Amino acid sequence: MATTLMLIMIVLLLLGFPMMIPLITAALTGFYMMFGGIGQMDTFIQQVLGGIRPASLIAVPMFILAADIMTRGQSANRLIDMVMTFIGHIRGGLAISTATSCTLFGAVSGSTQATVVAVGSALRPKLLKAGYSDSFSLALIINASDIAFLIPPSIGMIIYGVISETSIAELFIAGIGPGLLILFLFSVYCLIYATVHNVPTEEKASWSERFKATRMAVWPLMFPVIIVGGIYGGVFSPTEAAAVCVLYAVILEFGVFRSLSSKDIYTIAKSTGLITAVVFILVGVGNGFSWIISFAQIPQTILDAVGINDMGPVGVLVAISVAFFVACMFVDPIVVILVLTPIFAPAIEATGLDPVHVGIIITLQVAIGSATPPFGCDIFTAIAIFKKPYWEVVRGTGPFIAILLFSAGLLVAFPEIALFLRDVAFSD
Amino acid sequence: DTWRYAHEEYKGDVQDVYALKFKEYIEDNSEHTLQVYRFGELGESDDIMEQTQAGILQFVNQSPGFTGSLIPEAQIFFIPYLLPTDMETVVKFFRESKAINEDFTELYADKGLELLKMYPEGEMVVTADEPVTNPQDFKGKKIRVMTNPLLSSTYEAFGATPTPLPWGEVYGALQTNMIQGQENPIFWIESGGLYEVSPNLIFTGHGWFTTASMANKDFFDDLSADDKQMVRDASEYAFNETMKHIDGLADRALDKIVKSSDKVTVTRLTDRQIAKFKARAPKVEKTFYEMAGESGKELLQQFKADLDAVAK
Amino acid sequence: MTDSENLTYHSELPGLLGKFDNLISKVEAFMLAAGVLLMALNTCVNVIARFGFGQGLFFAGEINRILIILITFAGIGYAARQGRHIRMSAIYDSLPHQARKWAMILIALITSCIMFLLAWLSFEYVSDVFKRGRILPALGFPIWWIYIWVPIGFAITGIQYFLTVIKNLTSKDIYLSTGVLDGYADDESEV
Ligand code: NA
Ligand code: NA
Repeated sequence: MATTLMLIMIVLLLLGFPMMIPLITAALTGFYMMFGGIGQMDTFIQQVLGGIRPASLIAVPMFILAADIMTRGQSANRLIDMVMTFIGHIRGGLAISTATSCTLFGAVSGSTQATVVAVGSALRPKLLKAGYSDSFSLALIINASDIAFLIPPSIGMIIYGVISETSIAELFIAGIGPGLLILFLFSVYCLIYATVHNVPTEEKASWSERFKATRMAVWPLMFPVIIVGGIYGGVFSPTEAAAVCVLYAVILEFGVFRSLSSKDIYTIAKSTGLITAVVFILVGVGNGFSWIISFAQIPQTILDAVGINDMGPVGVLVAISVAFFVACMFVDPIVVILVLTPIFAPAIEATGLDPVHVGIIITLQVAIGSATPPFGCDIFTAIAIFKKPYWEVVRGTGPFIAILLFSAGLLVAFPEIALFLRDVAFSD
Repeated sequence: DTWRYAHEEYKGDVQDVYALKFKEYIEDNSEHTLQVYRFGELGESDDIMEQTQAGILQFVNQSPGFTGSLIPEAQIFFIPYLLPTDMETVVKFFRESKAINEDFTELYADKGLELLKMYPEGEMVVTADEPVTNPQDFKGKKIRVMTNPLLSSTYEAFGATPTPLPWGEVYGALQTNMIQGQENPIFWIESGGLYEVSPNLIFTGHGWFTTASMANKDFFDDLSADDKQMVRDASEYAFNETMKHIDGLADRALDKIVKSSDKVTVTRLTDRQIAKFKARAPKVEKTFYEMAGESGKELLQQFKADLDAVAK
Repeated sequence: MTDSENLTYHSELPGLLGKFDNLISKVEAFMLAAGVLLMALNTCVNVIARFGFGQGLFFAGEINRILIILITFAGIGYAARQGRHIRMSAIYDSLPHQARKWAMILIALITSCIMFLLAWLSFEYVSDVFKRGRILPALGFPIWWIYIWVPIGFAITGIQYFLTVIKNLTSKDIYLSTGVLDGYADDESEV
C-alpha cells in the first residue's frame, strides 16, 4: 500500500496538478484500500479539519498580516535601512543578517512558517536589489527559518519532551548549540556565495548616517522589544505575540506614519487570507493523508522490516534521522513527531541513547524536512507568499540542505554539540 | 479479526496501561487481535470519539472532560469534593455505583456507545507559583484549565482566575508567568516536566481525573453472547490491573519530582483548610445543574447516594 | 510583497450567472479579509482582557477556530479563481503549447471532479456531526455550524476548475483559471 500511495503522489505531482490533489488522491486511495469502499471517507474530511485546528496555527496568518503591513508601510524599510548602514559594506553582510534575523525571529515566534513570512517578505526585496539571485534569496530564507525550530521556544521540542518524558528545559538548552552552529555554517556559505558571485557591497556609512537611520527606526525597533518583552514578561504567548504585532503594525502605519489607509489594510487582510487558505488546505490534506498512513500502521511495518530493534545506537540514530526527514517532506512536523516518536521509543531505550540528544536530532530533522521538496510546509508557504513557481523556490535549496544534513551528521557523531550547554546548565 | 482501540494518552500512561491489559486479555482469550492507537496517531480526543461513533474504531477511551460537549452530564466529575481522596473507597465506588454502572451506561448508549468501564486515573494536584492553603491565596492567580465551563466554575469558586490555554502552551506560559498555575494528576506533572516551571505542588483533594472506556454500540450489539462476555471480562481484567498500577503510582511520581528539583514544595491541605474550599463547591453544583438540567440533578443525587453507600 | 492590488475578479460567465459569480467572489473576498482582521482583534482583546483586566475571554480560542475554518474554505475557492493554488509545474512548463493546453484541461477536469467528491464527502461529514449533536464547549452552540463552509468551499472550488476546463476548450490561450493566463512566472517583475 505504501508503494502505491507513493507512486500516485509522485506521478500526479510531476504532472503539474495543484499540490493538494496528489495528497488527496493518495489519501483517498488509502481509504479505499483500507475499507474496501468509499463509506468511511468522510473521516478524511474530519482529519483535514483536524489539521487546521491547532491553536498555534493562528500565528501564521497573523505574522503574514503584520509583515505585509510593515512591508507595504514604512516600518520594514526603516529597520532595514538602519541595519544596512551598519553592515552594507561587509561582503555577504545582507545575506548574513537575513540568516541572523531568521534565527532571532525564530527564537521568539517558534514557527518556521511565520519566520519565512515575516523575515522573508521584508528582506527578500533587499536581497534582490543588492544583487543576490532570487533562488539564493528564497532558499536562504526558507532554510534559515528552520533554525527557529531549534532555538527555544520550540513547539516541536515541547511535544517531543512530553511524549518521550524528557525534560523540556534540557531540550531547550540543548537546541541552542546546534542552532548557532547552523547559523555559523550558513553565514560561511553566504560569504562564499557573495564572493564567488561578486555581489557588490555598499559604501561604508558614516556614524552620523548610522545615527540618523537609527533614529528613523526607533518606532519599528519597538517590534522586537514588544515581542520579546511581552513573551518573557508573561503578557502573551508566542502565538498571541503575532496578533499583538498586527495591532502594533496597524498603530504605526495607520496612526504614526500615516502610510496606509483603511482600504489598504482591508486589501492586505484579503491577500493574507488568500495565502493562509492556500497553505492551510495543504496542511489539512497532509493531516488527512497522515491519518490513513498511521491507521494502516505503515511506519511500524516499515521499521519492523528494516529490523530497527537489532541496530546499534548509530544505526538507530541514522534510522531516526531518515524517518523524520522523509516524513516531514510530506506531513506537518508536529504530526510527524506525534506519530513517529512512540514508534522509535523502544529502540531508543534499548540502545541507551540520551533522549535529549535524540530530541535535538529529531527537531533538526523535522526542521530540515519542512524545508525540503516536495511538500515541505515552508516551501509551500514561500510559494504562496512570494508567488514564485515551484522550481524557482526550490532550485537554490541544495547547498543549504547539504549544510543542514552535514550538521545533522555532526550532531550524530558529536553529541556534545547539543549536550555541552545542557551539561553545563544541569551539572548538579 | 482485528479490532481497533484508541485512547488519549501517551505510551506508558494510565490509559495506555488499561488499553494494553484489555488487549492482552482479548488476545489470550479469543481469536481477535486488538490494535491500540495512542494520542495523536488518529487525531485528537474528539476525532477518535467520532471515529468510534462512525464504526471505524471499535473501542475508544475518552475522559468526561472531553465527552462533556457530547454528554453534558459527564461533567459531573468536575464538581469538586464529590469523590473522597482515599483510593480504596474511590475504587469501590467505581465498582459498585449505580450512577456509574447504570445511569451513565444509558447516557452513553443514547450516543451510540456501549460504556465498558469508568475508572479513576489519579488525584488532581494543583501546581502554582507559591504554596496555596486557602481560597484567599488563589486571588489574582491565573490557573490554566481545559476549555470546559465546569472546570472554570470550580476555579472561580476557589477564588482563582481560570484561564483556558492549549496544552502545548502550558509549559511556556508557566515559565514566563503568563499563568500562575495549573492542575493535573501528579504523574503528568512529572512526565510533562511542569514542576520545573511551577514547583509548588498542592494536594487540594478536590477531585480525581476520571476516564471511560467504551465500544461502538452497533459493533458491540452484533457480537455473539460469548464475545460480549469476553469483552466485559477483558474490561474487568483491565480495570483491576489498572487499579493495581495506579496504586502507589502517585507516590512514585512525587518521589521522582522531589528528587529532581530543590525548588519543589509539597503542600497537603489539612481538613480545616479543605473545609474552606469545600464550602464553595455548591456554587459549582449550581453551574452543573444549569448545564446538565434535570437529568443532571438526578444523576448527582444518585451519585451522592452511591457514595454514602460505599462510605459505610 | 503580494500584489493584492491585482486581486480583483470579473466573471466570464454571461448575464445573470456572471453577476452571481461576481457576487460570490466579492463575498469570498470579504470573508477572507474580515476573518483575518477579526482573528487579530479577537486575539488582541483576549490578551488585553487577560493582562489588563485579569480575566481573559473564555471563548477566544473557539472564535479563532471558527475563523480559521472560515478563512481556509472561503479562500480555496478564491485561490482557484486567482489561479493561486500551489503546483509543481517544472515538467508541465517544458511541454509544447498544444500538449500543455491538453494537460491543463485534464488537470483542471480531474481537480474539479475531486473537489466535487470532497464537497459531497464533507456534506456527509457535516450531516454526521449534526446528527451527533456535539457542541463547542465554551460558546455552547452546535459544532456543525462552523463546518457549513467546508462543502460550500469545495463545491465552489470544483466549479471554478470546471469553468477553467471550458475556458481552455473555448479559447486559444492556456488559462490557469478563468481569469488568469498561464505563465505567472513571467509577470513577476513587481514584488
Ligand atoms: Na523557536
Ligand atoms: Na512538511
